[in-house]
Amino acid sequence: MTPFPPMPSQASAETLMDAATDAATDATVDASARPSHGPALDVVGLSKRYPNGVLACDQVSLRVEPGEVHAILGENGAGKSTLLKMLYGLVEPDAGEIRLDGRARRFRSPADALAAGVGLVPQHLQLLASMTVAENIVLGAEPVRRGRLDRAAALAAVQRGMRQHGLAVPADARVGELSAGQQQRVAILKALHRGARLLLLDEPSALLTPQESERLFESLRALAGGGLTVILISHKMAEVRQASDRFTVLRAGRVAGSGASRALSPAQLAALMMGREVEPLQAERVNARGRSARLALRELTLLRPGGRPALDRVTLDIAPGEILGIAGVEGNGQSELADVLGGLARPSHGALMLDGAPLRAGEVAALRHAGMGRIGEDRLHDGIAPELSIAENLAALDYRGAPASRRGLLDREALDRRAREAIAHYDVVAAGPQQPIGQLSGGNMQKLVFARELAARPRCLVANQPSRGVDVGAAQRLHQSLLALRDGGSAVLLFSADIDELLVLSDRLAVMFEGRLVAHLAADAVSPRTLGQYMTGALGAGPVEARIDSPFTPATLQAGGHGGSR
Amino acid sequence: MGRVDQASAPVAGHTPARAGTGRTSAQAGTGRIPAQAGPDRTPAALLLALAIAFALLCLVSSEPVNALRLLLTGALPEPRWSAEGGWVLGRLARFGAVLEKTALLTLLGLGMLFGLRARQFSMGADGQMMLAALAALAAGVAMPPLGGASWLLAGAVAVAVGFTFGLLPGWLKTRFEANEIVSSLMLNIVALQAYRWIVAQGFNDPAAGFLATPALAAAARPPLLAGFSALLLLIVLAPWAAGLVLNRSTVGYELRVVGDAPAFARQAGLPVARSIVLAMAIGGAFAGGAGWLLSHGLLGRLPADLPAGLGFEGLVVALLAANEPRRVPWAAFGYALLEGGAQAMERASDVPREMVLVIQALVVLAVVSVRLDPLAALRRGWARWSGGAAPGLPGLEARP
Repeated sequence: MTPFPPMPSQASAETLMDAATDAATDATVDASARPSHGPALDVVGLSKRYPNGVLACDQVSLRVEPGEVHAILGENGAGKSTLLKMLYGLVEPDAGEIRLDGRARRFRSPADALAAGVGLVPQHLQLLASMTVAENIVLGAEPVRRGRLDRAAALAAVQRGMRQHGLAVPADARVGELSAGQQQRVAILKALHRGARLLLLDEPSALLTPQESERLFESLRALAGGGLTVILISHKMAEVRQASDRFTVLRAGRVAGSGASRALSPAQLAALMMGREVEPLQAERVNARGRSARLALRELTLLRPGGRPALDRVTLDIAPGEILGIAGVEGNGQSELADVLGGLARPSHGALMLDGAPLRAGEVAALRHAGMGRIGEDRLHDGIAPELSIAENLAALDYRGAPASRRGLLDREALDRRAREAIAHYDVVAAGPQQPIGQLSGGNMQKLVFARELAARPRCLVANQPSRGVDVGAAQRLHQSLLALRDGGSAVLLFSADIDELLVLSDRLAVMFEGRLVAHLAADAVSPRTLGQYMTGALGAGPVEARIDSPFTPATLQAGGHGGSR
Repeated sequence: MGRVDQASAPVAGHTPARAGTGRTSAQAGTGRIPAQAGPDRTPAALLLALAIAFALLCLVSSEPVNALRLLLTGALPEPRWSAEGGWVLGRLARFGAVLEKTALLTLLGLGMLFGLRARQFSMGADGQMMLAALAALAAGVAMPPLGGASWLLAGAVAVAVGFTFGLLPGWLKTRFEANEIVSSLMLNIVALQAYRWIVAQGFNDPAAGFLATPALAAAARPPLLAGFSALLLLIVLAPWAAGLVLNRSTVGYELRVVGDAPAFARQAGLPVARSIVLAMAIGGAFAGGAGWLLSHGLLGRLPADLPAGLGFEGLVVALLAANEPRRVPWAAFGYALLEGGAQAMERASDVPREMVLVIQALVVLAVVSVRLDPLAALRRGWARWSGGAAPGLPGLEARP
């Protein structure tokens, strides 16, 4: 989370909020037509301060009517997750009250919340991959006969639930074999099976393709029509307008505004979230046709231990000063390709070349030395050393020589100076160069990861999920850095689960499905819908080549293919 | 370590951090929230440990107050007044023993610290110290006095032997994937038996009256400062050197990154395997220094039955010091003081030896229990008792 200094535009955000509240009054007229029902959920003055002193929620109040889909919006660290955890009994509030159907409730554990009819669908679904759909749904509330699971009764109950709620999933399939969208339906059914009347969803669309998201939101609407109350957390403005009736925006732990979802434009919602206006990023596309390749991959194949390919004959080129985006549902070979390019995995066969010279695959230091840079998908795991200071984290790539060290001794002052410069240049919120980097928020950490990788002036940067878990303001700063790196002549390979990010930043796009490139597309002539069809395997078989001069995959089925959605 | 800077709390820009009084009133809805306790809870943990110790003493002793006094002050010099000499400090010899133990534990603690900082659990300090002590003594006996500087050369020998023997677990780990805990414990057995065999089979002095090595000549030993061996200066010098290596050198930087985030070190291209080997070897060098202190500073000749297990006390010291070199001498001093006090209590009160060791262990346990914060527990109890909403458990969600 990034605290922003009070800015003149704050005033405009407040005005927006008034407008939204007015609209909300209109929207609630039909709700007041049923005076016998109070709000399904009434939260009054909920506050939570964590042991580390962070005030995550500060006097948060909100009302949700029965049958309403209510979106909670906010940047990372605005307190959305804490609010959700308090509603589900994972975190006990310090002050305030939660009223369900007019009754004050105190949840000491999720069991209390479940008993009161609150169900949670977490962002990372907690399902057992090796068990069947039916088993997962009844887990925790199993029909039992003579002390053992009554499979027939479980299956019947699950199928009854699917019919009743209009959510279809093959009940006897193993959860691990399902798509992300289907798994999400299982998680929703699981909550409903436990008798949820209030359903909480934490960033439900984060891992879904556009089509899957649409289906999810249709299902939620239908469920709400049947009387279920839905709260969903999101930081995607377009999605909030599409999926919800009303919204509440949290900023720095406080309610910054609320109203009817369609009363505000995405830009206005973003302004409310951040407390200032955000200019949409406009990137010039680069046409690299005719240039020679900086990074060249030929028939790159990586076999899993079982023999199934994780990467299947991947052939692509990236020119200097070009961004190639790779779209795909997670788990289709993106991590493996990033690992091979970082030297962490050795390909089974195929060739890697940088400016025509073969790279020594599987040797991290050699690849780094040749000019490969890497921004990993999980910065906490392998992007930073959390207990070390900001200054020391920034030195990880060049500590061996001047100016970072001399004769085997680190030059503390030089490191501190550089850290102060990076903190200022990237608008990092930090106490100073000596602060342990693990104490920073995700966005600030990621800015420093960028600072370190870009300072090494990579000839080719592999950026995997560069703005994951990062708020809108920080993400934009990171995007600008990537574009600046490209314009400085580096080749960039961009992996992202965020299709908007891919469409805004990429010059060319390739889609990965089951380890193969199945489409090669011009980023300014493809719709998210088409992309989604390639990502789920509905279109294209591959492998196709994504070389600089390779033809684009013909747009036979591109529905309304126009421009990057922003 | 583990400090939370209030100023850096992300909400600070928007909400003035309100210091709570430890009481929350949900009914009033004022939103007053208890602030978190200060980060350093060691004094409170020590007090709790002593309270437990006192409770145990009440059970086993008829004079618990006196026993506790002995435990706390028994190892300190005692100011005494006499008609002839005025005020004099008594029990200086006992305090000297505490300082000698402090020096030994400082070096052994540093020996463990380097491995721990690289996330390696090499338990080999014992064996490294013994072989280094024997090598230093042999060098001291064999060498001419070199104008009174042979003790320095013997120190170099000890450090080199410790370093080399410390290399082995790391080499075995990176080359053959041998678990360093097992291999270092096995190497301890090898070192201990080799030491005993060498002393018993030839490198001994029949005139000593017990099975021991020949004694160092007075000229081969380091000079005395105020009655103590000059090697006690290592209490100050060794942590300084360790801090320099760990925090300033690129080698130390590598091993800290490897210890904190091995996956990060790997993807950034740091020499991970070399760091693992070097971390344990540098630790071995400090354990070798402990051997040098033993042979040249404390004993002058080495008995065949040198007690095993000192290395593990070094482990406790490193943990007490939270793996910070500059805290190691303080932790070593506290540990030595407690041990000296426990011996005094054993001698001068009716507390049985077994209970002395139990109390000593409990005090250490309370201090190393990172999450143990008696003050916070008291505050929570108070909040619950006074009817306010109880704050959540600490550590459940440290980073929202």
